Amino acid sequence: MNVAAIGKGNPACRQSVTRHRNIYIAAAASALLLLMLLPMVHWIFLNETEALFDVMKLKASAVKKLSGSYSVFTFLSFVQDSKQGVLGLWSFILLMIAAASAAFHLWGLGLFFLRKKAAGGKGMLPMYSRIQSGMLFSLLLSAGTLGLILFANNHYGMAGFRAGAPVYASAAVSVIGYLASKRMEKDERTLRREHGFLEEVRRNWILFLFLVPCFVFFLINNYLPMAGIYFAFTQFNFRDSLFASPFVGFKNFEFLLHSEILHLTTNTILYNLVFIVVGNVLQIFFAILISQVANKYLKKTSQTMIFMPYFVSYVILRVLVFNVFEYDVGLFNNFMTSIGSPKVDFYNTPSYWPWIITVFYLWKNIGYGMVVYLATITGISSDYYEAAQIDGANIWQQIRYITVPLLKPTFIILLLYALGGIMKGQFELFYQLVGNNGTLFSTTDIFDTYVYRITTTQPLSMGLGTAAGLFQSLFGFIVIILTNFLIKRKNPEYALF
Amino acid sequence: MKIRDRSGRGFDIIKGILLTILSLLCVLPFIVIVSGSFTSNQEIIRNGFSLLPRGFTAEAYGTIFKTPEDILQAYKMNFYYTFIGTALGLIIITLTAYVISRKEFKYRNKVSFLIYFTTIFGGGMIPWYLMYANVLNLRGTTLAIWFPALITPFLVILMRTFIVGAVPDAVVESAKIDGAGHWRIFWRIVLPVLGPGLATVGLFQALGYWNDWYRSSMFSTSSKTWSLQFYLYDLVNSTQAMRQMAQYADINTADLPTQSVKLAMSVVATGPILILYPFVQRYFVSGITVGAVKG
Amino acid sequence: MKKLLSIVLALILCLSAAGWAAADDMNEEANLVFYVMGDAPKDEAAVEDAINAILKEKFNATIDFQFSTWTDFNLKYNNTLISAGADLIYVANWENYGLNANNGAFLEMDGLLDTYGAELKALCGEGMLNMCRVNGELYCIPNLWPEYVCLGIKYREDLRAKYELPYPDTLENIEAYLKGIQAADPSQGLLRPTNTESASSLSIGFDTAYLLAAKYPWVAPFGMPYGLTANYDTPSEVYDYWFSDDFVTDCKMFKSWADQGFWSKSALSDTNDNEAYDNGLAVAEVAGMNPNKQISSANSFAKDHPEWESAYIAYGENTGVIYPGHATQNGTAILRSSKYPERCMMVLNYIMTDETMNRLVQCGIEGKHYELDENGFYVNLDEAFPYEGFNTWNLRVNEFKLKQPTDVALQAMFDKYAALGEKTKWPNVNIWDGFTEDYTEYSAERAAVGNVLRQYLAPLQAGLVSDVDAAVEEFRAKVTEAGLEACREGFKEQWADYCAEYNYQ
Repeated sequence: MNVAAIGKGNPACRQSVTRHRNIYIAAAASALLLLMLLPMVHWIFLNETEALFDVMKLKASAVKKLSGSYSVFTFLSFVQDSKQGVLGLWSFILLMIAAASAAFHLWGLGLFFLRKKAAGGKGMLPMYSRIQSGMLFSLLLSAGTLGLILFANNHYGMAGFRAGAPVYASAAVSVIGYLASKRMEKDERTLRREHGFLEEVRRNWILFLFLVPCFVFFLINNYLPMAGIYFAFTQFNFRDSLFASPFVGFKNFEFLLHSEILHLTTNTILYNLVFIVVGNVLQIFFAILISQVANKYLKKTSQTMIFMPYFVSYVILRVLVFNVFEYDVGLFNNFMTSIGSPKVDFYNTPSYWPWIITVFYLWKNIGYGMVVYLATITGISSDYYEAAQIDGANIWQQIRYITVPLLKPTFIILLLYALGGIMKGQFELFYQLVGNNGTLFSTTDIFDTYVYRITTTQPLSMGLGTAAGLFQSLFGFIVIILTNFLIKRKNPEYALF
Repeated sequence: MKIRDRSGRGFDIIKGILLTILSLLCVLPFIVIVSGSFTSNQEIIRNGFSLLPRGFTAEAYGTIFKTPEDILQAYKMNFYYTFIGTALGLIIITLTAYVISRKEFKYRNKVSFLIYFTTIFGGGMIPWYLMYANVLNLRGTTLAIWFPALITPFLVILMRTFIVGAVPDAVVESAKIDGAGHWRIFWRIVLPVLGPGLATVGLFQALGYWNDWYRSSMFSTSSKTWSLQFYLYDLVNSTQAMRQMAQYADINTADLPTQSVKLAMSVVATGPILILYPFVQRYFVSGITVGAVKG
Repeated sequence: MKKLLSIVLALILCLSAAGWAAADDMNEEANLVFYVMGDAPKDEAAVEDAINAILKEKFNATIDFQFSTWTDFNLKYNNTLISAGADLIYVANWENYGLNANNGAFLEMDGLLDTYGAELKALCGEGMLNMCRVNGELYCIPNLWPEYVCLGIKYREDLRAKYELPYPDTLENIEAYLKGIQAADPSQGLLRPTNTESASSLSIGFDTAYLLAAKYPWVAPFGMPYGLTANYDTPSEVYDYWFSDDFVTDCKMFKSWADQGFWSKSALSDTNDNEAYDNGLAVAEVAGMNPNKQISSANSFAKDHPEWESAYIAYGENTGVIYPGHATQNGTAILRSSKYPERCMMVLNYIMTDETMNRLVQCGIEGKHYELDENGFYVNLDEAFPYEGFNTWNLRVNEFKLKQPTDVALQAMFDKYAALGEKTKWPNVNIWDGFTEDYTEYSAERAAVGNVLRQYLAPLQAGLVSDVDAAVEEFRAKVTEAGLEACREGFKEQWADYCAEYNYQ
C-alpha cells in the first residue's frame, strides 16, 4: 500500500506526515552511523604512548608499526602488531558488532531507497526492524568500545586508552534513530494490524513455553561454545590461556592457500552431490518398492535387511574392503585369476575409487534414509489412492501423480539440509576406506581428510582446525542461504526457514 | 498402506526379486561378520573371511564376556542413555517442531533458522568440551553423556515436515474455532496422528544414542559410566594405540583384541538395536492411515 | 544472539582468569588429579585407597589417577592440558613434551625441586634433569630406569637357520634373508609394512624408511625432518638427503624389493595391526621395533608356536650408532594451573624416592596383587591390578623396579647395547630426542610439506612407482613448491642453537 493512496483529510494522513518526518530522521541517522564506521573515523585514541608501550613491553621495531589512534576495524591490527592477545577477543567482538550494525544499516537503507514493501501486508515493517537492529548494534558498539577501554586501562593499570568523539556521537545518534524508528513502527503496526514481540508472547505464551527446553539446549550446546570461532584467528599457547593468546589475523587460513584448495573443494562437492542425488533417488525408489510389495513377510524382512549395513562400523568395513580388493590374495583378484583374467591393482589406481566409495556409501545409507520416505508414504491418506483408482488410474499413474508429489516436501527438506554440509565430507568413510594411501588422493582426498592430515602433523593447531571449519561453514552457509532463497521464492512452504 | 495393484503377478515377481537381491547384498557382509566372530582368529588371519564359519568356535565371545560384570554394566548404561535420551529428546523435539510448524507463530522462521544455523556453524570441539567440563563442571557425570545429544536439528526439521504433512492447517484452525488452545491441540490432535513421524524420529534418536561412544570417551572419568559402544571401541583402539606408540613405550600386549574379537564385538553391540527395529517397523508397514483429514 | 555471545565471552574470560590461584595452604586437603595414559586397572580404587591412606597422613593430600583410555588419547591429553583438568600429568616426547612445555603448559620446577624434592633431585642427577630442560627451564621429572628402545629388525631365526641364510644385519643381508625364504617357500608372506601413522615426524612416508637406520649412522634414526640429516658423530653438520643421489639409490632399492614381491602392491592401504608376524604371515618386522617388542613376540611364539624362534638385531649394531631412550621418554610434569604445586612436588618426590610407596603405585598391594617368588621375581596374583597397572612408566625407578622373569633377556639386550653405545663419540647420549622444534613461524609451509610426504614420498618409499627417477623429480618439485626452504631454514637455525647449547659439535 502506498502512503499517498490514503486520502487527504483522513486522520491517517496527518499521521503520515509525522511518519514521513520520522522515517527521514531514522534514515539519516542510519547513514550517519554508517559513515562513522568508516576506517578513517578514529574511535580509540592512545594516551601516554611511551609509558603504555613500556607496560606492554614492546620492542622499538613493534612500536614503529603502531599509530596513535584507531578505528573499530583497525584496532585489531593494533592488537596483532603489539601482540596484545588479551585485547583480541574483545576487539574481535567489537568488529563483529560493527559488521552487524553496518549490515543492518545498509539493509535498512536499501529498503528505504527501494521503498520495497514486504509481501503479506507488512508494509514497511521489515525496514523499521532492520533499522532498529542497526541502531541497537550501533549503541552496543559504543558501549562495547567504552567497555574495551575500561578493560584495557584496568588491565595495564594506567589510562592508556581513551574514547574518541565518534564513540559518544554514535551512541547519541543511535538512540535518536532508534526512538524515531520505534515511533513510526508503532504507527505502521496499527495501520497494518501487526503486533510486536511482547504481544506475540502474550498471545502465544504457550508456544514460547514449548521452546524453552530447546532454547536452553542450543544455548549451552551450540551458541555459547561458538565463542570458539575466535580461535581461528589466534595462535594458541597455554601461558596466555585460551582467550588471551596472540591474535594473528588470517595466518591460520594461509594453509588453505598452500593447498590445492580448488581440487579439494571440487572433490568434496562432487562426492556430496552424488551422494545426495543418487542416495535420495535410490531411497525413494526402494521406499516405494517396499510399500508396493504385497507379501508382508518380504516387506518386513527386506526392510530390516536393507537397514543392516548401517550398523557395520567403518573400522570393520575397512577390513572387509581390504580383504576384497587386496592385490595378491583379495577375493576379487582371486576370482579374476580363477577365470583367467588379469589382476586389478585397485590400491594404486585412483580412478576406481570414486565408484568404490560411492557404492559403499549408498550401501550403508540407503536403509537409513529410506525409513524417512517409508514413514512419509505410510502417512499418505489412502483416500487419495482410492479416489485415483475410482478415476481409473493405474499403478504407475498413482505413483507418478500421488506418491512422488507428496514425497517432495520431505525430499526438499533433506536436500536443503544436506546442502548446508556440502563442504563437510564423510570423513570416516574416506579415511577408513582409503587410509593414508597418497597414491589415491587425486580422486579421494576431500577437505576433511586433508584437514585431518594437516592437524595431526601439528599438535596444538587449534587455530588451524577452527579456521578450516570456519571455511567449510561459510561455504555451506552461502550455499544454503542462496538455495533457501530460491526455494522460498518458488514455494515458501518448502523453505527451511 | 497398500496400493491395489492392477498390473498382474509378473510385476509382483519382479518387485520381489529386486528387493530380495538388494536385501541379500545388504545382509551379506553382516553374515561374513557373524561367521567371522565364530571363527578362530588364526583362521581369519591366515585365510581371510568367509560366508560360513570354519571350525566353529565361540572363543571370541569368551574373550568379550570374560569379565561379564563390566560388559553388563556397559549394557546397562547404554540402555539408560538410550532410554532417557530418546524419551526426553523426542518430547522436546516434537514440542519444538510443533511450534515452528504453526503458521500463526510470528517467529517460526527465525527460530527455524537459529536451530538450523547450529548445524552449519560451530565453535569446534574444544570450546564445546570446555563448556561441559569447566563451565558446567559435568566431567564424570552421566548427564554430560546424554545431554549433549538431546536435540538434533535435523530431527527437529524432519519432525516439522511430518507434522505439516500429517496435520492439515484446516484441522488446527477448526479446533481453534472450537476454543482449543495449543496445549490441547498438541496432545489431542497432533500427537495421535504422528505415529510414523514419532517412530522415525524416535528410531533415529535411539540409534544415535545406542551407537554413541564419543561422549563417553570425552567425559567419563570411570569405566562405570561407559556406554557399550565405547567399551568395545576402546578395546579395539588399544591395538591402534600400540602401533602409534610402538617405538617408545613398552606396554603389556597380552590381551589385545584380535580380528575375531572385533567382529564379535560388532555383533554384541548391534544385536539389541536390531531387535528393536522390527518393533518400530510396524509404524512403517502396517498402514496406519492418517484419518485427520476426514475429522 | 550476538549480544548474549559477548556477555558470555566475558564470563568465560573471567572464569579462565579465576583459574590461576594463590599459594598452597597445607591445612587444606589437596586432592591431586594425576593424569596418565591408557586404561584404568580394575582395582584402581583399592590401590588408590592404600596410597591415599599414606599420603593423607604425610602431606594432607590424596591422589586420583585419571586415565586417557586409548581412544583419541592425543586429543584428550590436549583437552586435559587446555581445560586445566589435572595437577600432575604424564609427559613424553611422543606426547609433544617439548612443544607443550615451550607453550607454557607446565610449571617451571627448579624452585619446587630445590625446596620440596631435594632427595629426588639428588636421585635424578644433573645430567638427567638437564635433558628435560626446554629453553633452559625444567618442566618434568624423568623416569629413572635406563631403557634402550633402539630400532631394529625382528625376524624368524628358525627359518634363517633352516634355509641357511645370513643374519639380516645389513640391507644386503636383509634382502638375502627375504629372498632366501621366498625361494624356499614361495607361499610364505615376507613383510607387512604399512603407511606410518606418525606423520608428525615429517621425515618418513612409509614404514620401509625405518630400514635407512640400518644403512646410515644418522643422529635421528630415519633422518631429520624436511629431508635433512646429520651424522651422529657430527650432529651440527646438517646435510641434504632428499636431493642427494643416496636418496635416489635408496628409492630404487625399495622399488626392487617391491618388484620382487617382498610386500603387497596394496601395502599403502594395509590395515595389518602387528598380528601378521606373530601369526607367521610375515617373516620379519622392520618398522617401529624395539627390544621390548622382541620379548613380547618371543613370549607369543613360546605360547602358540614353540617351534618358531624370534630374534632381534638393532640397526645400530651395524652402523655403530646406538643410544638409550631419552630422559623425556617418560616423565612427570606439574600443570601450570595446579592449585597445589608444592604438594604435587612433595608427593612426586615421595613416590619416586620411597621404595614401599613406589612399589605400591607400580605393582599394587603386596600379597594381594603380587608376590615375589624365591628368585625375587615379580609374580602377579590378581589380574585386577597388573604390573605397572596405572601405566605410570614415568614413575619407574631402577632401584625399586621389581623384575619380571622376562626382564632377564631384556636386560641382556640392554647390556649389549650399552656396551656398544659406550664406543660412540657421545657415549650413550640420545641427542635427537632432546630437541624441540618451534615451527610457529612456518607452520603453513610445514603443513603443506607434510601433505606432500603422504602423497609423493610414501609411494616412493613403498617402491610402488613405475619410474623412480621421474617420481623423485616430481616429489622434489612438489616439496619445494610446498615451501620446503622456509621449513629448512627455520629448522637449521634452531638445530644449530640446540647443538651449540649442549655442545654437540
